Amino acid sequence: MNTVSAFDKPHFLRIFTGLVYLFLFVPIAVVVLFSFNSQKSLQVMDGLSLRWYEDFWNDPTLRDSLFTSIEIALITMVVATVLGTALAIGLVRARSGTSSSANVLMLVPLITPEIVAGISALLIFSQLGIALSFWTIVLAHITFSISYVTIVVRGRLASIGLDVEEAAQDLGASRWGSVRLVLVPALWPAVVAAGLLIFALSFDDFVLSFFTTGEQTQPLPVRIWSMIRFGVSPTVNAVGTVMMVVSISAVALAVLIPRLFGRRESGVKVLTGSEG
Amino acid sequence: MNASRFWNWFVYPGALWIALLFAVPLFLVLALSFGHVDDLGRGVYGFQLTNYADVFNATYVPVLLRSVGYALITVILCLGIGYPAAYFIARFGGKYRYALVAALVIPFFVNYLVRTYAWVALLADEGLINNAIVDLGLTQAPIQMINTPFAVIGGLVYGYIIFMILPLYVSIERMDPSIVEAGKDLYGSPFQTFIHVTLPATQPGILAGSVLVFLPTVGDFVSAQLLGGPDTYMVGNLIQDQFFAASDWPFGSALTVVMMLFLAVWMVLYLRRATRGEAEVL
Repeated sequence: MNTVSAFDKPHFLRIFTGLVYLFLFVPIAVVVLFSFNSQKSLQVMDGLSLRWYEDFWNDPTLRDSLFTSIEIALITMVVATVLGTALAIGLVRARSGTSSSANVLMLVPLITPEIVAGISALLIFSQLGIALSFWTIVLAHITFSISYVTIVVRGRLASIGLDVEEAAQDLGASRWGSVRLVLVPALWPAVVAAGLLIFALSFDDFVLSFFTTGEQTQPLPVRIWSMIRFGVSPTVNAVGTVMMVVSISAVALAVLIPRLFGRRESGVKVLTGSEG
Repeated sequence: MNASRFWNWFVYPGALWIALLFAVPLFLVLALSFGHVDDLGRGVYGFQLTNYADVFNATYVPVLLRSVGYALITVILCLGIGYPAAYFIARFGGKYRYALVAALVIPFFVNYLVRTYAWVALLADEGLINNAIVDLGLTQAPIQMINTPFAVIGGLVYGYIIFMILPLYVSIERMDPSIVEAGKDLYGSPFQTFIHVTLPATQPGILAGSVLVFLPTVGDFVSAQLLGGPDTYMVGNLIQDQFFAASDWPFGSALTVVMMLFLAVWMVLYLRRATRGEAEVL
């Protein structure tokens, strides 16, 4: 008879995993709960109120920052999705020296600490004499989103054989025609999912924005940074909760969209970036 | 146009964008690290090693070592916490597997500053945890938790554990459970089976997760800034200071280059595996 190890005992593992989820969710629950606190306290929950949400909405700087963050995320999403998808198609279909060096180039931003990315962006903008502004943030965000889109879309591409494209070409489609008529329709759930993930990542990004932001248009995370550093403010809880709702809605859509098209595991694959 | 040239046109726009706005700027950081600050406080390119001499002095070396030390402890904790959880979800999650993975990812999409700030509220001297244990009579006075290495490392584990759990999950799920049965038949002991069968089979996930946690952790400055103090500052805090408060960009660049040298081995290892399709890529 086999002895049973701890790793075969779902009971022990179940409790351990439960504690991991607790560890992950308690801090978030604290933020959400205290965003509805009627007191200016982070220790005592007194009664429920929406006063911190009113403070958030009535503060023109914070409100502008919210809209700035959304605009940055939308532009980043569109440009990075187009470039990243094209890059994924090119990398999978081309078997050349260009594509293998481009493959390495594409992977490096994913594993570079964000602070290095932020400094690099800051240096190139100052070298070119470009004043820091809304657009420098957008450029920096796009740079670090392309690779992410490429990974997600490439995962889906790997499962589409060449045969359908070849069939289209046998039927008279040009190479470009087979991309437009065969590849793009087959890929679009993955492309939309990747775009939504980029929206969430850009919307939440702090470090890149911190290094590339100008004086006027500061995205929400940069504002949160100065709020936290200049003392504790319960408004941060409300801002954090609103941001959470925005980005988790985007991620939920990213997971749901591939599922709506009948690929059950694709949602997880989108999040784990796994291929095959 | 031959096929290869046709497909290369799909590669060029994205690859050029990354080259111009990422690869070239990295070389600017390297170049500026040999420069100096002029009389107006601006960084000027040059050919001198003074910034590197400054990095390797008694003030900054401990900070560099501390950063690497914190990052290694963070990797070990993430592995210790993440492996059992990923194992449970992949092997015993059943039909709830996808929901459980989705639930893991949710906290990661809450802004990192807000998440770290939540830990400030929990761990502060007047925070929720201290209030609770004092009220329960477990201690007389609050326990110092914030401004300690524990708080900083805890913040790092919380911030980056998802990068460990996801690759682990993928490689454990991919593992054929029957090899564990076979291992038991051959070795008997469950511990030996785990060491000789399960661990090697999930090694790509362990490696990918460790690298993906280690790299961003070394460069982090948010956790040490919010949950720590001057005694727990990491190299990210030093670098950040040089580009803002101290405004010594050449010295900040030298610190960045030295930090990247600490990371280079891990980055190359990961890239080699990822380009051969061996590592889980996130």
